[in-house]
Amino acid sequence: GDLGPFNPGLPVEVPVWLAINLKQRQKCRLIPPEWMDVGKLEEIRDQERKEATFTPMPSPYYMELTKLLLNYASDNIPRADEIRTLVKDTWDTRMAKLRLSADSFVRQQEAHAKLDNLTLMEINTTGTFLTQALDHMYKLRTNLQPGESSHSQDF
Amino acid sequence: MSDSYFPVGPGLGLEENFLSLDDILMSQEKLPGRAESALPRLAVLLGQGAGSAESVPEGSKLEIPLWLAKGLHDSKRRIISVELPKIYKEAWRTVFSADANVVDLHKMGPYYYGFGSQLLNFENPENPEIAQTILQATGGCSVLPISDFVCFLQTFIARFRRIMDSSQNAYNEDTSALVARLDELERALFQVGQKGLNDFQCWERGQASQITASSLVQNYGKRKLAEVDG
Repeated sequence: GDLGPFNPGLPVEVPVWLAINLKQRQKCRLIPPEWMDVGKLEEIRDQERKEATFTPMPSPYYMELTKLLLNYASDNIPRADEIRTLVKDTWDTRMAKLRLSADSFVRQQEAHAKLDNLTLMEINTTGTFLTQALDHMYKLRTNLQPGESSHSQDF
Repeated sequence: MSDSYFPVGPGLGLEENFLSLDDILMSQEKLPGRAESALPRLAVLLGQGAGSAESVPEGSKLEIPLWLAKGLHDSKRRIISVELPKIYKEAWRTVFSADANVVDLHKMGPYYYGFGSQLLNFENPENPEIAQTILQATGGCSVLPISDFVCFLQTFIARFRRIMDSSQNAYNEDTSALVARLDELERALFQVGQKGLNDFQCWERGQASQITASSLVQNYGKRKLAEVDG
């Protein structure tokens, strides 16, 4: 898409990669997203702890955005340390929840699940592990079926 | 290095993967069996005599590797009969169903799941008792093959949580104590879980964006140094 026009002192929307690059060249100041605020994040964290399922996150890349903005533009973000702790808490809560639900998923030998509000970073961190474990389980579970049919043909 | 190396994984089904090194090692494991007919001139190979002309008498007990047992096992020709190894028998299955987490599967296995899956090949259909068993099995009664297989699944399911938790919580720790009691299949799974966690932590600390020398180059440098010293 088209970007700009760029005028000094006026807010303009750009992709994150460009914002980081301009920031590193000291050509701009970053404005933190609306949700990157101590009050809002506390609310999100408490909501996450209350609910049994995953709650919607303020951004599909909340982890990535927090990390990039705090690493490269922490001077533009008010109360950066508190935000870091809050986001980390939310992440830990969600990962613990993910493990818990994966465990009950395996225990009940389900074949499908719906994870609407997981972000890509969360899916990726445990994704390979989970799919491989389920693949093993599927094989162990279907081991017997071809065996049965071939045996019954022997009679 | 490991990204461009694609080893053939274990089959884990009724059939092994032909080129899987894990499956080849697995099929070397010994299986208790009994000769149903005399096997001429094989006593030396099976460790039961000295002379090359001696034959293995009918009914003698044998310890044969799985691959040989699979080849000789035939429902019509009755060359050998195969027994279940101790750890797949009733007594051990009870132990597994009580608490699968306490069992040292590496000592029992180390290919507990794969070997057990292969054992399902040896149901002997001409034997009327087993035929009855299979019929009952299709009816869903908890007879040998079913309970066997439920047992793997239960073992795997019961141990899943522990593997997941330890692989994802242990960060930058010595994991040898954790994996010591795991079956080979579970170890692979553990490694995958660890890699996911480690990659994420690396990214979080900003190490993923740094460029480091390939391990190949580093090792090469060391070897050069050693040569110079020698």
